[in-house]
Amino acid sequence: MVRKLRLTVPAAFGYLMLAGFVGVSLLPFWVAIKTAITQPGDVFQTASSIAPGELTFGNFTRVLGLPSSVELTSVRASPINFALSLRNSLIYTALTVAGQLFFSSLAAYAFARLKFPGRNLMFYGFLASTMIPAIVLFIPNFILIKDLGLINTFAGMVAPTVLMTPFAVFFMRQFFLSAPRELDEAAKLEGASAFQIFWRIALPIQAGPMATLAILLSINSWNEFFWPFLVGRGEDVRVMAVALSDFMSQTSQRTPDWSGLMAALTLSILPVIALLFVFGRQIVESLQSSGMK
Amino acid sequence: MRKLLAASLAVTTAIVPMMLAPAKAADATVSYWMWDGNQAPVYRQCADKFEAANPGVKVQITQDGWDNYWTKLTTGFTSATAPDVFVNHISRFPEFLANGVMEDLTARIAADKVDMSAYLPGLADSWNKGAKQWGLPKDWDTIAIFYNKKMVADAGITDEQLANLDWNPNDGGTFEKALAKLTVDAKGKHGDQPGFDPKNVAVYAWSYDPPDGFGQQEFSHFAASAGFQAVDKPWGTKYFYDSPILAKTLTWLRDLSIVKGFSTNGEQVGRLGPSPLFAAGKIAMAPQGSWMLSTYRDNAKFAWGVAPLPKGPEGRKSMFNGLADSIWSGSKNKDAAWAWVKYLGSSECQTIVGKAGVVFPARPEAVDAAVKAHQAKGIDVSAFTLVAKAGSTFPYPIMDHGSEAYAILKTAVTNVLLNQGDPAKILKDANDEVNKLF
Amino acid sequence: MTDRHRSPLSGTSRTASGTSRAARKWREALTGYAFVAPAFVGFAVFYLLPTVRAMQISLTDWNLLRAPRFVGLANFERLLHDDKFWHSCEVTLAYVLYNIPLQTALGLALAVLSDRLARSVILRALIISPYLISNVVSGLIWLFMLDPLLGLTNAWLVAVGLPHQPFLASPDQAIISVAGISIWRHTGLTALLFYAGLQSIPKHLYEAARLEGAGEWLMFRRITLPLLRPVMAFVLVTTIIGSFQVFDVIAVTTSGGPADASRVILWFIYENAFQFNKMGYASAVSILLFLVLILITLVQMRLLRADQSDLD
Repeated sequence: MVRKLRLTVPAAFGYLMLAGFVGVSLLPFWVAIKTAITQPGDVFQTASSIAPGELTFGNFTRVLGLPSSVELTSVRASPINFALSLRNSLIYTALTVAGQLFFSSLAAYAFARLKFPGRNLMFYGFLASTMIPAIVLFIPNFILIKDLGLINTFAGMVAPTVLMTPFAVFFMRQFFLSAPRELDEAAKLEGASAFQIFWRIALPIQAGPMATLAILLSINSWNEFFWPFLVGRGEDVRVMAVALSDFMSQTSQRTPDWSGLMAALTLSILPVIALLFVFGRQIVESLQSSGMK
Repeated sequence: MRKLLAASLAVTTAIVPMMLAPAKAADATVSYWMWDGNQAPVYRQCADKFEAANPGVKVQITQDGWDNYWTKLTTGFTSATAPDVFVNHISRFPEFLANGVMEDLTARIAADKVDMSAYLPGLADSWNKGAKQWGLPKDWDTIAIFYNKKMVADAGITDEQLANLDWNPNDGGTFEKALAKLTVDAKGKHGDQPGFDPKNVAVYAWSYDPPDGFGQQEFSHFAASAGFQAVDKPWGTKYFYDSPILAKTLTWLRDLSIVKGFSTNGEQVGRLGPSPLFAAGKIAMAPQGSWMLSTYRDNAKFAWGVAPLPKGPEGRKSMFNGLADSIWSGSKNKDAAWAWVKYLGSSECQTIVGKAGVVFPARPEAVDAAVKAHQAKGIDVSAFTLVAKAGSTFPYPIMDHGSEAYAILKTAVTNVLLNQGDPAKILKDANDEVNKLF
Repeated sequence: MTDRHRSPLSGTSRTASGTSRAARKWREALTGYAFVAPAFVGFAVFYLLPTVRAMQISLTDWNLLRAPRFVGLANFERLLHDDKFWHSCEVTLAYVLYNIPLQTALGLALAVLSDRLARSVILRALIISPYLISNVVSGLIWLFMLDPLLGLTNAWLVAVGLPHQPFLASPDQAIISVAGISIWRHTGLTALLFYAGLQSIPKHLYEAARLEGAGEWLMFRRITLPLLRPVMAFVLVTTIIGSFQVFDVIAVTTSGGPADASRVILWFIYENAFQFNKMGYASAVSILLFLVLILITLVQMRLLRADQSDLD
């Protein structure tokens, strides 16, 4: 039932509020873009204006390490190796999401469908670990990764999340619990192995929830900051969020190249915006459902 | 979905061995870390020459922002992933020494007959402790005033007058009078005219960074020129932040903004610092370190100059801080690392750095190259060299518990400048807290 | 399950099938263990073990570079008398108190408005867009926009005749500003969750209420709000836990300053662990935070359970 309100005063006020919300949501995106297309020497004169200053696309090429029309006298070659950070972010996200999806589903399936001694104890242990604040884990995990010699490797960066996160297990278990079991039984009678049943039958039914989970996990991994910040500091593994904060941290000694920074920010947001354009409905619906477990 | 999953698993299995594969043979690679992005390309030039002269040795330069640099370095020491050579700062020197992460260079210096007197006086000494040398001098910095030439001329102040201002913590001297002239309120009235509205200022005469604990750019020069001494001695155990001179100086600086309106107050300069305000024409002058020269060159589209700090009751004073290159004690190829450090300290490399006009190198002949490079770009940097030459400098405090003391003092000074309470009491409490660390 | 108690000796004819059943059960258990094994390794190595290790470290004095020294409960004792720690608790609490009610109220308003006025998926995609960029990026952009003298926000304030605000540069406004940035980033998600909750409320309830002459506000209070409570509970549990662990935005905008005004618990831990190299002390604070979070979660889980039965 969709009942449209007539355009009364409260409704008009409501539309105004909605427009305000959207405006505030989008304003910072515009500020990043307009600063990115402004000549560096113009950035501060026009910082308090909604319009960009003298236009240029040189900031983007400069950040990408390409020959650029905008060279700074302070010879800062390529402050962030953008392409490399982008690649690193993609690898980091792909690894953590793929690993979590697979291993967490496997465990979730076992928790939901198979009987084995200690099952509930284990599951509640998993569940309880959602309450451990990440900061408690960072220091010992950092030391562990260090002892394993995995500092500055992707292996070290993805290790804590690639095998499971409590959320992923919990999320998938809910769906396996409510799925019909008849197909499983039939396959079992035909002599399919447990893994075959999981892989060929149980998992495909959950394509929807899997996609939802994948989107949720991707957003988190893409934006993850603290752990990669601790473990993945080498340029070869430094993800985008860490690279951007490195750029920023020069402020205490030196004013950063804001137009360059905003150009880098804009470029880092682009993949996400593109994703929103292509999968807008799916993302919205996935996020919507994450609270309805 | 299953296909997607299978595909990503395939990707995973393809990538994992790549990740686990050991890095390619690094025997002849010297890793070198620094925090200054402006300098990285210049040192790359040095590295190219060094590599040409030392076939088989490669130098890998990595640069990180200031804050992250130290986190990364400390975790690097812990996890044995630190660089062979790193740029060192006085504030971290004691802590690194206590934990044995730096290589003692004394024997190598003696063996290779490196002349330590070839550096500006005092620079090598600050990296000497227990008759051992822990780093080779790299560059140095002092503080001077960056000013907007047009604004100063419009206020009727000549360059000569600007270079000879005097200051005291009581009435601010001729310096404060100049600031008054340079400040303009929203209605166009100057700070020394009747009817000036200190609450509605369009152009401030003065601005400074959010203060750090030692006030390198913000207040240390004022306080020292009035006779303030921050610590008892290098490697000492006592801070003197309860000194009435400091309280008086900071009170003057606080009132300059919140009462008189001649300076931005601590709340108006965000984390971006004064240089954006300078570029936007909202301030006329700012005290800044010599390392800021290239930033001003990039951002200000108008004529600007550098003037010396005002003379205080005790003369003109500037903090004089020198960086050094140190070798990590856990380095796997110390011989190559030493060769690189020695080259970094050589006349050849320092002259290359000087010519780039980014910082002032530690060798006098390289300093001349830097001065000339700035002159060629139309900027007279004698204000920086003046204080360094006149022997009117004081060192960055070298003390144990540096990071913690710094954090405590930073909070205290910020509180004073933001008018959060009685300056004398705030400073005394912080001083007690800091001295308790020892 | 009753099968387990059937004795294989109860009948010879059954022995074969009984054994095979036991074998099958054994096989199922083995399969279960095999399926859970990778996740369990992840759990044991990266959740369970580090929690135990953090507890151990919290009993030592350790600067990372030298061997740890056992000090018993000294770190916890010091914590109780550390004004900076208590101050960081206050700051965190202030952050939570600014962040949660505002974010929840705005999210709810946004959800109800879009449910009643504009159900386009495009609108929801626009509203959710801030959530898709990282805290670090949002922090950086807002730092630029909130600059006291140069920022766009202040230019607009002045344009409508309001005074300049220092925002992140002021001890009085820093934590509110940080909360504001978080609200900007998270309200869209909160709204989306509420929106989904609204869709599950049977429409006939509204029809009936309207027939009885109920107004919008009354329906909101009597129908929408009570039936939204399970979602509300979920939103509150996740956002409160998240708020207690705010870090990223602070790292890029204020670094805990000015004058400690935004030194939240996580920054306090970070500073001690990675700037002062006091791993033992930092771990002690972490453990304490863990205990507090368990407490909060337990209380909220109770609420959550009660609310779920409310819906049925």
